[in-house]
Amino acid sequence: MSEELIVKVKQMIIDSLRIEGMTPDEIDSDAPLFGEGLGLDSIDALQLVVAMEKEFGTVVPDAATGSKVFASVRSMAAFISENSK
Amino acid sequence: MICFMFPGQPMARTDLPASDPLFLDMAACCQKASGFNPLADDGGTSALNESVKLQLYGVTMSLYRHELLLRQYGRPDLIAEHSLGIYPALAACGSISSRDALEMTGRIGLCLATMGAVREYALGSVIGLTIDPLESIVTRNSVFIANRNTSHHFLLAGERDNVRAATLEAEAAGAFSVGLFPCDAPLHTPLVAEISADLRRIVADYSFREPSVPLVEHIGQKELSAGDMPAFLVDELCRPVFWEQTCRTLRARGVQRFLEAGHGMALTKFNRWIDSQS
Repeated sequence: MSEELIVKVKQMIIDSLRIEGMTPDEIDSDAPLFGEGLGLDSIDALQLVVAMEKEFGTVVPDAATGSKVFASVRSMAAFISENSK
Repeated sequence: MICFMFPGQPMARTDLPASDPLFLDMAACCQKASGFNPLADDGGTSALNESVKLQLYGVTMSLYRHELLLRQYGRPDLIAEHSLGIYPALAACGSISSRDALEMTGRIGLCLATMGAVREYALGSVIGLTIDPLESIVTRNSVFIANRNTSHHFLLAGERDNVRAATLEAEAAGAFSVGLFPCDAPLHTPLVAEISADLRRIVADYSFREPSVPLVEHIGQKELSAGDMPAFLVDELCRPVFWEQTCRTLRARGVQRFLEAGHGMALTKFNRWIDSQS
């Protein structure tokens, strides 16, 4: 997957979760998004599901899939790369 | 226009600002009012169960964060509350003291816990399903929608086995995620009415002053007067929390900025979802 896609995913996270004062550079591509790292939760997860569908046309169907997809920015980009329409 | 909003019960006791003198003062106030010390691992008392300790921790955190917000932003134009947030919200609008808010939280929590001695209850979170399929599911499983937080975020309450069955059915119907949490009482459901007389007796021990900042409640989105407060404190435990409607009403009244006074950012995230759907 391209570095360009990784930057796009980071920007989507910042925009959809309205994280103020953060730039894509400040997000570690391999850090966990939930719990540690950005500290996201199940409310954030649904917001990311909707954003991914809107921006990339990829559907995360359930929390079990989501826990793998949202493991890190890199895993999100890989899922988008494999599943985008 | 700025609104301070007070969230409901946290799910865990984490992120204690244990070195902040302001929090130490609030924790001491909590211990005097309820016997519970938020800074002690075991809460400093065995007389309270974990649910009540969580409630007292949540209210202590809200009172602490409220003081921080006041220092940073000054007095808000409006105050809103969600569920347990009513107790610190009453203190924040000047209707009762912080000590009374903490004492009342502990006494009402203990009263609610009597329901759990007879039956096992639970709360169930359902994320990603809309209201129409969920209403059919709750009816079939004899549980209730306790919190209508957004168009896609709900909390169910009822007897534990029924809530478990309802969350599993919601998951099968397409909910993105579900969760089950034990609790003492079926909060925000008509089942709480069986202890309403006891709750009324507790609330009657307190005096309420007129709010110095308008306090908008989560059922009908009305401003509470001092005279409304005793009945509301009992009624709100028997009826659902309508947070989405509360957020939309406050936006329509001109609120441009919501600031959350409590543990975590759940209400801020619900508002983000609500605003994104507008």
